[in-house]
Amino acid sequence: MARRKSITDRFADWLPRLVLAPSLLAVIVGVYLFIAWTGWISLSSSKMVPQYDFVGLEQYYRLWATPRWHTAVANLFIFSALFLTVTIAVGLLMAILLDQNIRAEGALRAIYLYPMALSFIVTGTAWKWILNPNLGIQKVVNGLGWESFVFNWITQPDFAIYTIVIAAVWQSSGFAMAIFLAGLRGIDNSVIKAAQIEGASLPRIYASIIVPMLRPAFLSVIVLLSYISIKNFDLVLAMTNGGPGSATEVPSTFMFSSVFRRNQMGVGAASAIMMLMTVAAIIVPYLYSELKEDRHGH
Amino acid sequence: MRKLSSALIASTLALATALPARAETKIEVLHHWVSESEVAALNTIREALAAKGYGWQDSAVGGMSGGNMQQALRSRLAAGNPPGAMQFIGWEGIDWSSEGVMRDLNDLDKANGWQATIAPQVLPFVKNGDNLIAVPINMHRQNWVWANKAAFDKAGIEQPKTWAELIADGEKLKAAGIIPLAIGDEPWQIQVVFDALVSDIGGPDFYRKALVDLDPEALNSDTMKQVFDTLRQVRGLVDDGFNGRDWAVATGMVIDGQAAMQVMGDWAKGEFLAKGLKPGTDFLCFATPSETPSFQFVIDSFGMFKVSDPEVSKAQVALAEVVMDPKVQHDFNLIKGSIPARTDLGVDDFDDCAKKGFEERATAIESNAMLGGATHGFAAQPQFAAVFGDVAAQFFVNEMSSEDAVQLLVDGIDNAR
Repeated sequence: MARRKSITDRFADWLPRLVLAPSLLAVIVGVYLFIAWTGWISLSSSKMVPQYDFVGLEQYYRLWATPRWHTAVANLFIFSALFLTVTIAVGLLMAILLDQNIRAEGALRAIYLYPMALSFIVTGTAWKWILNPNLGIQKVVNGLGWESFVFNWITQPDFAIYTIVIAAVWQSSGFAMAIFLAGLRGIDNSVIKAAQIEGASLPRIYASIIVPMLRPAFLSVIVLLSYISIKNFDLVLAMTNGGPGSATEVPSTFMFSSVFRRNQMGVGAASAIMMLMTVAAIIVPYLYSELKEDRHGH
Repeated sequence: MRKLSSALIASTLALATALPARAETKIEVLHHWVSESEVAALNTIREALAAKGYGWQDSAVGGMSGGNMQQALRSRLAAGNPPGAMQFIGWEGIDWSSEGVMRDLNDLDKANGWQATIAPQVLPFVKNGDNLIAVPINMHRQNWVWANKAAFDKAGIEQPKTWAELIADGEKLKAAGIIPLAIGDEPWQIQVVFDALVSDIGGPDFYRKALVDLDPEALNSDTMKQVFDTLRQVRGLVDDGFNGRDWAVATGMVIDGQAAMQVMGDWAKGEFLAKGLKPGTDFLCFATPSETPSFQFVIDSFGMFKVSDPEVSKAQVALAEVVMDPKVQHDFNLIKGSIPARTDLGVDDFDDCAKKGFEERATAIESNAMLGGATHGFAAQPQFAAVFGDVAAQFFVNEMSSEDAVQLLVDGIDNAR
């Protein structure tokens, strides 16, 4: 009796590991092995095909001497900062407004969430046309009689990156709204009632009590949106294809064109490693703080 | 039971298809031709191959001007499973043959005397050392101007003889309410204009020094500044809505008469012909204006990978023969809008633009004004060619001085070396 039990026990002990093994293997090979391989390539002289030699940091020097890469990095920061702030602000505002027990909330929620169902390619193509001065907003407003109205940011190298922010915010703010709304629904009503009895105004209740209580929702939104902004590739490709000139180049489009169109595999690998480090700089402290809290029993 | 019935079905099918008597060997061909006319042109090769008893297994990877195809090829080669043949542009074929994965076609070349039929300036793109490694099917010209005849008449202008004339004509066209030049902001479209300017202003020798040999002196010269100065004037001929405009959309603007001209390779011709327009009466085609006219070529060629299957190897021979077959070259190019890569063929039944191109090619071969189109990879290697595109495009869309552009060019080329 005791022996049989110990076999099942042992099996039960091993089962989770057995079940996890294939996916663990897939992740080790498919992610970490290729990260290591990319790191190796970035230290080699690879051009069209991988070369397994060692040239030190030469490709990194070359990368940082490329003006297009500087544009790409600057664009990543401009895009991420604006995209995160505006999406969070718009999403939070919509969530708070929807949370006021309004009519047809379900329908409105679906409408705001709907852009999320589109791929970035569709969003990008649509916004490319909407923002084209000869086809979109500018033409419509001019046609209505305001002849001097100009809205041609997408053709201006200094402003084109902001048009990509507009499209990305349009696409993602509904998603931020959904997460915030879920967070708001999880807040106990009695807290709000207590504050009301104390005589606090509604804006004050939101600013001092409710928004701070949404911290977990904020964290999820920030992490998810920052990874959307770093992997942003299809939106740029569909909307501006990196143009005008190379004004809206981002690290991911830079990497693709280096490896597959310019025969600069080493430079492409170096740019990929730089992107990885950027992501790590954001994710590692976050993971660290999360894991630390776990250990304290939260 | 299920096995039996599927065996029955299989044998019935086999009977039905057994008419060509033997099992057909298929050769897989990786290419990026996916548009309607391109596929129709490919069918001429496919049919000629079928007549020799070999099948064509289509492996089309469109998108990103062949960028996606390159990605597909790399993974196939890495897996040790290369396709039988592949379409090459620019240095791709030579680069891959230097990696030792291409088969040479020397025996076929000797037996058929192919090299003598190919323009000498094209040979470096199909020959690695002494080995012929690819067979060219067609030749496009990159430096054409496509113009709307009615728009020219309305503005009262004739075909310009120099870029200065073309730019002056632009003002007349604007006065007539017509956009002088249709173009998109994609770097390669701007680079097509840049390439044309380099040889039209500096001459073919300057083009070779700057865009092929990457000679620092030529890159840093006053002539190069002059090229950028002219490019700045060309910018003034373009409307504001040029962002994200596809080349075919720009061609459409010339067809509609909304714009007067487009500088583009002769793949644009198909758009005019498809609308039933006639060269000479409805639209004009002429080389980019210069006192030193050049023929900037772009060719597509097919190269064969080393394969282990002897049947596929035979199919490769058949495919190479088909590609160099005079009738196939004739039929293929009639549909594709290009001219045959072989210089020894008649083009009497081609349209007037193709005839013009054919004649001007012969002149250019004589006067050594036959140049590889840098935009499409027929001058410097892609890492350098892309720098020209970057700088030309940045200059075109920004307020940048010609001096700064030249500096950017010199630095960019040095960095890519």
